[in-house]
Order: sequence, then C-alpha cells, then structure tokens
Amino acid sequence: MRKRIFLTSVVILLMIAGLLPVLFMLAKSVTADGCLTLAAYKGVLTSRRQWVLMGHSMALASLVTVLTLVAGVPLGILFGKTDFPFRRLFVFLFVIPLLISPYIIAVSWSDLFGGGFLAGVLGPHFTTVATRLLFGLPGCVLVLFSTFLPIPMVLTMVFLKSVNPRLEEAGRLVSGWRGVLKNITIPLILPGILLSAMLVFLLSFGEFGVPNFLRYNVFPVESFTQFSAFYNFKAATAAAAPLAVLTLVVLAAEFYLLRGRGTEIPSFSDSSIPLPINFGKYRKILFFSVALAVFLLVIMPLAVLLIQSAGFDSYAEAFRKGGDSLLRSLLYAVFGATLLTIFGFFTGYLIRTRALRFWRSVDFVTIFLFALPGTVLGIGLVTLWNRPLTNFIYATPLIIILGYLARYTALTSRISAAYLGQIPGSMEEAARIAGAGWFRRMALIVAPLAKNGLFAGWIAGYVFSLRDTAVTMLVYPAGHDTLPVRIFTLMANGSPRLIAALCIIMVAVTIIPAGILWMVSNPVQEKETI
Amino acid sequence: MKIIELNRVSKSYGSNTAKVLSDISMEINRGERIVILGPSGCGKTTILRLIAGFIAPDSGSISIGGHLAAAGKRIFLPPEKRNIGMVFQDLALWPHLTVRGNIEFPLKSGGVPKKKRSEKIEEILELVGMKGLGGRKPGELSGGQRQRVALARALAPEPAVLLMDEPLSGLDVELNTRIRKEILRLHEKLGFTLLYVTHDREEAFSIATRIVVISKGGINRDKNPGLPETETGQQERN
Repeated sequence: MRKRIFLTSVVILLMIAGLLPVLFMLAKSVTADGCLTLAAYKGVLTSRRQWVLMGHSMALASLVTVLTLVAGVPLGILFGKTDFPFRRLFVFLFVIPLLISPYIIAVSWSDLFGGGFLAGVLGPHFTTVATRLLFGLPGCVLVLFSTFLPIPMVLTMVFLKSVNPRLEEAGRLVSGWRGVLKNITIPLILPGILLSAMLVFLLSFGEFGVPNFLRYNVFPVESFTQFSAFYNFKAATAAAAPLAVLTLVVLAAEFYLLRGRGTEIPSFSDSSIPLPINFGKYRKILFFSVALAVFLLVIMPLAVLLIQSAGFDSYAEAFRKGGDSLLRSLLYAVFGATLLTIFGFFTGYLIRTRALRFWRSVDFVTIFLFALPGTVLGIGLVTLWNRPLTNFIYATPLIIILGYLARYTALTSRISAAYLGQIPGSMEEAARIAGAGWFRRMALIVAPLAKNGLFAGWIAGYVFSLRDTAVTMLVYPAGHDTLPVRIFTLMANGSPRLIAALCIIMVAVTIIPAGILWMVSNPVQEKETI
Repeated sequence: MKIIELNRVSKSYGSNTAKVLSDISMEINRGERIVILGPSGCGKTTILRLIAGFIAPDSGSISIGGHLAAAGKRIFLPPEKRNIGMVFQDLALWPHLTVRGNIEFPLKSGGVPKKKRSEKIEEILELVGMKGLGGRKPGELSGGQRQRVALARALAPEPAVLLMDEPLSGLDVELNTRIRKEILRLHEKLGFTLLYVTHDREEAFSIATRIVVISKGGINRDKNPGLPETETGQQERN
C-alpha cells in the first residue's frame, strides 16, 4: 500500500511539473474573458505566413530525420556489431554534439565560414557561397544532422544488444552478413529505428536555437518571438498549440503502429558474444571514412571555437561576463540532475515492475514531454505559475528546475528502467520474505544494485539540464539566467572571440563529466588494431 | 565414409587462457547419429559452434565433407558455405517472420527459385506435420509446434549434417519423447548425419548410434550405446 501511495505521489508531482502546464496552456488558448473562443487559432491558421513556417519546419525535420537515419543506423551497426577499431572512442566523439547546446555547433560553422578561417585557403568566393548556404535550410540541416546523428546511432546499438545472437547465427548458417542484416537483424531492431526517427523528427521540429541563429524561420521561432519580443501571449500560445498536437499525433501514431514496441525498454539478450562482422580488405577504407566524418562533424567545429577563442583575454572576459551565469548553470544542473535521478528511479521502477495500472500512460507522458518543443513547455510553465499566489515558483529558479524535471524525466526513468531490468525480481522478493518493508527494500537492496543506473541517470540529467536553452530561455526569472541563455543573448552583439570562449567553457563543463562516465564505464581499454 | 573430422582442435575464449576444448579429435561418418554427452560447461556446445563456423579454432583443423573448413586461424570457411543445418537450444525462430518465412529464408538465400521454394515449403511442412500452419508467427505456436518448425527450417535446404544443441531441454516428458521419435523418423526418411548435444543420458541413449562423452574440455569416452558397458570401457581414448 505504501508503495502504491508513494509511486502515485511521484506520478502526481510529475504531472504537475509537466502535463498540467501544457493542458493549462491549451485551455487558456481557447478562452477569453471566461468564454470559449478560437480567435487566436483562427489568426494562426488563416495566416499564410504560419503555413510557410510550418512548411519550413516540416522540410527541416524531414531532411534531418532522413539523413540521420541513413548515416546513424549503419554507424550503429558498425559500432555495435563489428570489431571496428577504436569504436568506443568514435561513439564518444559522435555523441559530443548531442551533449552540448546545438547552437554552439552553429556558432562554430559560422566562425569557420565567416571568420576568415577558410577565406585564405579557398578564396572569398567560396566563403561567400558557403555562408549563404549556412544561413538557411542547408546550414540548419547540417548542424541538426551532426547534433541528432547520435540518436539513431546509439538506439541502433542499444536495440542490437537486445537481439538474441542465436537468431543471427541461425541466419548465418544459410546466408552472408548482408542477408542476415537485411532480413533478420534490421527487421528485429526496426522498433528502435522508428523510435529514433520519431525522436529526431520531433526534436528537429521543435528546435528553435539553431534556426534562430542561422536565420531560417520555422514554426517554433514564431511562438518564441510572439512571446518574448511582442509579449503577445495569446498568439504565442496559439502558435505553440499545433506543436503540442503534432507531437502527440506523431507519438500516438508510432505507439499505435508498433503496438508500443518502439517505446519498450529493450532487455539485453544472454551474455554470449554476438558474431562480429569482419570487413576484411574494406576495414581500412571504412576506418578512414568514419575518422573523416568525426573530424568534419565534431573535431573541426570544436577546433574552430578553440582557435577563435585562443588567448587569456578572451577567457578572462568570458568569465567576467558569464561567470555568474556559469555558476548558476552548474548549480541548477546539479540540483536538477539530483531530482531527475530520484524521480527517474521511481518512475523507472514503476514502468519496469508495472506497479500501477497506468504505468504505460506515465511512460507515454514522460516521452511526450521530452519530445515536446521546449518553447511549448516553457510557455505552459509561465501560463500556469505566473500568478501572485505561486510567485515563489515563478519568480525563483524553482521554475527552471520544474522545467528540467518535466522535460528530462523520460531520460532518467528509461536509464533506471533498463538497469532495473538487469536485477532479478527474486532479489527484492528475498528481502520481502526477510521482513523488509518497501522503502527499506528500495534503499538497501534495489537502489544499491541499480547504482550504476543511478549514476548514468545523474550524468544524463546533469548534461541535459546544463545544455537546455529552450525551456530556460522562456522561464528564467530576472537575474537567474544560465550560461546557454547568456551566450544566446550575447550572440546578437558580443564579439566572436567572447562567444567562442563562452562556448568552449560550456563544452568543457558538459563534456568532462560525460568523459568521466565514459572512462568509468570502460575501465579496461580494449586492445584494438586496424 | 567420413563427413566431419576434427583433428586436435583446441579452443579458449578471450583472454582466458584455460582451454574450453583441448586437443579434441573426432570422426563422424555419413548418416551416423552421434550424441555428445556431458555436464554443463564441458565444451559440448563449443564443438557444435566450431563445426557450424560461428567460432574458429585456436589450433587444429576441421574438415566437412572432405574439405578443410577451418585450420587454426589461417583457413576459415564461413557458416553459410558449410552446408550445415542447426536446431538451437532456444530454437531461435525469427519472431518477425511466419512459419513459412522462417522456412523460406534458407531456401531463398540458397538461390532456390520461387516456384520450387513454395513446393519445398509445402513438402517440409507436411513432413513435420505442420501443414496449414505456414501463415502463423512463432509466437502463435505451441512448444511442440515450434520444435517442428525449427526442425523444418534446419532441414529445408537439405544439409549434409544437422546439428542439434540440447533442443529438447525444457520440454515436458511426453513432448520430449514425441519429438525424439519425430527426429528418428526424419533421420530415417532423409538420411542426414545428426550431431546431437545433450546432458541427459536417457535422451542420448534413445537417439544415438554412437555416444561421445565429454568432460573438462576433452573426450572421455566414445562408445556405441548398444554395446555392454564393459566393452565400451575398451573404447576409452584416454
């Protein structure tokens, strides 16, 4: 009974943090002076400009989805199924753009083409053309492609681990690897591929930082502009509502088509080593192709920022202008990650053990909130909490933390659930027979056994709280901005050297903990040769 | 006539220097029903995986049908080129394919034309008593039916050798007996060579024309189950 009451309380708190603001926002958008009205929607839906923006968003999201799938799934297979040299290092490098605010990569590409780096080598004509391409759809596609490429790559790797190696061996008796991958492996991991496609589509669709910086007008920018520039709350809400509805429709369609298999947490198959694919003579060509891709998409953009920001003065100025924001970012990220770990642990437990009847709905809502554009969630939070009675939330960093909790619980709950799935149910049952109550079992048996999952969840919570721009940008109270928000606002008139230095600081405080996690999870380096 | 020959084969996994198999030699004749009997972890499954081509031996050689299939790390014939069928312990039926799809995949991979494939599928389904159930997915079948599909899939491309890795573990006694009879019937009808792994003595004696007893990575005894125990003792290799 205690278990049910506690888990229900956790769910209610999550709903208050995430779902209630969105529902409140939707309700408010269809009322005016206490009466039901669709005036705001009429304005949005009858405007030609809105439809053009929607078309831009669709084009951007579709292109990014297709390209990330085309490159990400083969990379996932390459790193998850073969004896490819230095694959763990490659995975880590490819994941870096996902861990940092996407506009940082946009800034570096802009510096590369506009900062005179290439003008001397390739001539001014090339840089003019490249800059024209960067500031528009191709540039947005490039930046979001490198940002979201790790999603299909990592999900492919995760789902590959859940494939029973015997199923592939049965195929290998009669067919080469190409036939096995095409007819057995890929159909088996299709739910994971579709899940990644859906996530990339929704995240690209909801992204506003990169299109805003690269001056490509998309739908989420509209609601942000209406809200922050014109403070036209009705129009902003009405512009945000289609994004919420679209997210819900895409998620529901995916859920219906796959009967929930896409959002199922994969159980890892038995411990026997799966058959690695050997590339023979193509091994070296493949290695250099992947190394070139990682250089172009990850190392070069970061190197440009490093070169641009070189010098003590840049960093001194960066700390002077952004030091307080950096401290706040770290503080909020640590606090947010801790709360996310706790909530994620109990939600993960609820989903894994199906302890409450509505576990599937809880899972669905957390994924919905993760996929929902940050601007929509931000507007929802402001709508709900901006009133005198709840000023202790609205006017304090609590509202930022609530935003993190709403948006990123899906990550920590899924990580926890995956780790909890590795613990035999008999462990908890044995403690129960020994007379331990539920809280005691959680504290002394389940949590210690899932400590690696808690650690991984904390790091994920920290990284994603730290990189958040969309929610924080809309909800931060005066004097409580975070570093990504400070960089974003400084980008309008700050010097490129200062912006680059701030970006490098941002990357460092994000990557270092992720790097530690990577090292802790791979204590023994594999001996790999080309 | 020899169809499989293992010559001083050794195998260890990863950095573990302890050998799972140590200098194993074995000859299997065409049409024989060999059962490898031994406790868990003694290396029975490793022998099957070496013959199937899922792993390569550290040293020694394996010949199949008179051709060298593996010799140390130098020569290695991939599994699909060995003309071998296998029934796995967990059956490994592809859950996303129907019964028909499961049986069709090996035939399609082997380049069998569509018309001939359909005929072959119907023929094999009838042979294993699964006629009319080709449209079902593995998840919609009973335990016994799944066993039959696994057998049908393995036998469809007419392999020279059928490997079976504890395929009856986990079945109730009645079903176990029924499937055993089924295997013997199919063997008699199709004449393939059977290499069967189990830790169950009764199962071994009911299936085998010859039993190879394995323990701690080496062959302990190689005997004819029809012979009295005193005589089999004389067949001990070490």
